[in-house]
Amino acid sequence: MPENPLLPMAGQIERIITETPDVKTFHVTFTGGKPFVPRPGQLAMVSLPAVGEGMFSISSQGEQHLEFSIKKAGMLTAALHEAETGQMVGVRGPYGNGFPLDLCRGKDLLFIGGGIGLAPLRSMIVYCLAHRSDFGHIQIIYGARSPADLVFKEEIFDRWPHEPDTEVNITVDVGDDNWQGHVGFVPAYLEELNPDPAGKVTVTCGPPIMIKFVLQALDKMRYAPENIVTTLEMRMKCGIGKCGRCNIGSSYVCLDGPVFTLAQLQNLPDEY
Amino acid sequence: MYVLDKSQLPSFLEAMAAGRTVFVPAEAGGMTRFVPWQAGIQLYWEENPVISPKELFFPQTQVLYGYRTLGQQLEILSRDEGNSPRVIFGLRPCDAAATGIMDDVFLTKGYEDSLYRSRRQNTLLVVLACRRPGPACFCTSFGLDPTRADNADLMLYDLGAEWGLEAVSPAGQDLLAKPAGPVERQAAAPEFAGDFPLEIKVDHLPSGLRPMFRHQVWDIMYQKCLGCGTCTYLCPVCHCFDIQSHNRGVQGYRYRCWDSCMFSDYTLMAGGANPRPTKKERVRNRFLHKLQFMPERYGKFGCVGCGRCVLKCPVNLDITQVANRLAEVVANA
Ligand code: SF4
Ligand code: SF4
Ligand code: FES
Repeated sequence: MPENPLLPMAGQIERIITETPDVKTFHVTFTGGKPFVPRPGQLAMVSLPAVGEGMFSISSQGEQHLEFSIKKAGMLTAALHEAETGQMVGVRGPYGNGFPLDLCRGKDLLFIGGGIGLAPLRSMIVYCLAHRSDFGHIQIIYGARSPADLVFKEEIFDRWPHEPDTEVNITVDVGDDNWQGHVGFVPAYLEELNPDPAGKVTVTCGPPIMIKFVLQALDKMRYAPENIVTTLEMRMKCGIGKCGRCNIGSSYVCLDGPVFTLAQLQNLPDEY
Repeated sequence: MYVLDKSQLPSFLEAMAAGRTVFVPAEAGGMTRFVPWQAGIQLYWEENPVISPKELFFPQTQVLYGYRTLGQQLEILSRDEGNSPRVIFGLRPCDAAATGIMDDVFLTKGYEDSLYRSRRQNTLLVVLACRRPGPACFCTSFGLDPTRADNADLMLYDLGAEWGLEAVSPAGQDLLAKPAGPVERQAAAPEFAGDFPLEIKVDHLPSGLRPMFRHQVWDIMYQKCLGCGTCTYLCPVCHCFDIQSHNRGVQGYRYRCWDSCMFSDYTLMAGGANPRPTKKERVRNRFLHKLQFMPERYGKFGCVGCGRCVLKCPVNLDITQVANRLAEVVANA
């Protein structure tokens, strides 16, 4: 008889990276290796059973571990932020559809991220860079409230810009004394950079207000809804399409999402 | 058909209950519901019980797994529920149909819910054919036959002084082969008599509702709802649940419990955002879920017309009135 799909595996936090004042990345390992190999954009439930359980995107993975980049928002995330290496957590998954690799293969890719929204995108960016010849030009536009709020600093400043045929454009809403880079909101920076939609798929993730203006900008720049990919966030409990919580119309974000093209979203009630 | 003198029912049930739990409709704690049969129990046949048999497959609270935490350690303790054989004796065709919908929810679309399955797969359904509609019934609106259930193991007929029994599945046939069992004899199933008090027009469903999401009709419809959740708790098709922890010291368990899309924190996210912030969105979701989203996803309505929510809603927010008002708006659009 197959296992209870709601039963987590116990894993251990092996490494904690403080990304920003309120975002940490956790590397979780498991005795006997990773319990599953997620596709880019998939999710997992992470729990401290006495506190709670939450759905997080898997921001990257290694041979032996899964990575979660988690922003402090509620009780569970606050408890995770207080955890030290060695802490054990429950993990179950992988959930969700992940990014549409078939749609992206052979195309130029434009990633547009805001704040912690770079976490799901990162799983895809890492995948694309590891399978570099499957994809065309890669452009990453990323912004945060302030320089201190930029996540994955090593990758966005020191690694990704040096990858072949890869361009990284960083912006912050408000700079500080040391900031030499671009200042301005992501949607405005996007319009300023004005990347050509020809042969391109764009993948965007960030706070709802950013997404809203990014979608407007992309529309103005004549990106087709079929080539605009984004992820949705809904409250989730089961992750397997049973608890009913995450529906948008007749779609369940935990199963049919979290990744949707704009064309798909236009067919759903706008209740998210 | 097999027939059994009504006075023989206790001994028939007693034989059936050997090695199984047999759930029967009865009054318990001021409610009517399905309870384990035992000698001397008074059965309740007047109406469909207030509490549907869904709790027998999907209990109001159910432990998912236990855990132990000590310092940084975590041990997950899986709990095997066991799965002793069971019979539900005397559920109505609408609730049998609802069980079929629950099967689709819990057992299809990529994941099987093992806790649901372990209860469901060992449970036989003895379905009582209705002889007249209850005070708020409208099962026929959804094309259901109040005298039959496709997923029954055994059909049960009220023949007056006798019970009639007809096997639908081989397992149902086995139930008849008890020593104290019914005898085979020529007998006709009783006629169904009486008009249905309520009706939903379904011709426009579900596709006609697609443009209705933004319609102003919802601005009025929701207003009297109290958000109490009675409708969803009583509904044999509502399946939403929450998952919570029960923690004591270094150990505890995670359990699921019924939840309701009528509650304000149902979709509230950790950061404070809520895609259904007011009762309007919640009421709309409940009705569209039953009349449009479930049909789109499972090819079946999320309502079987049992009438429980109609009878028990404290402010009479009646699904038949809502559905028919929507039908009117669609027709005039
Ligand atoms: S919505 Fe109401 S009438 Fe329909 S199945 Fe549920 S409780 Fe019964
Ligand atoms: S029973 Fe009536 S008042 Fe209570 S939540 Fe349902 S519709 Fe609203
Ligand atoms: S999280 Fe339970 S249905 Fe999606």
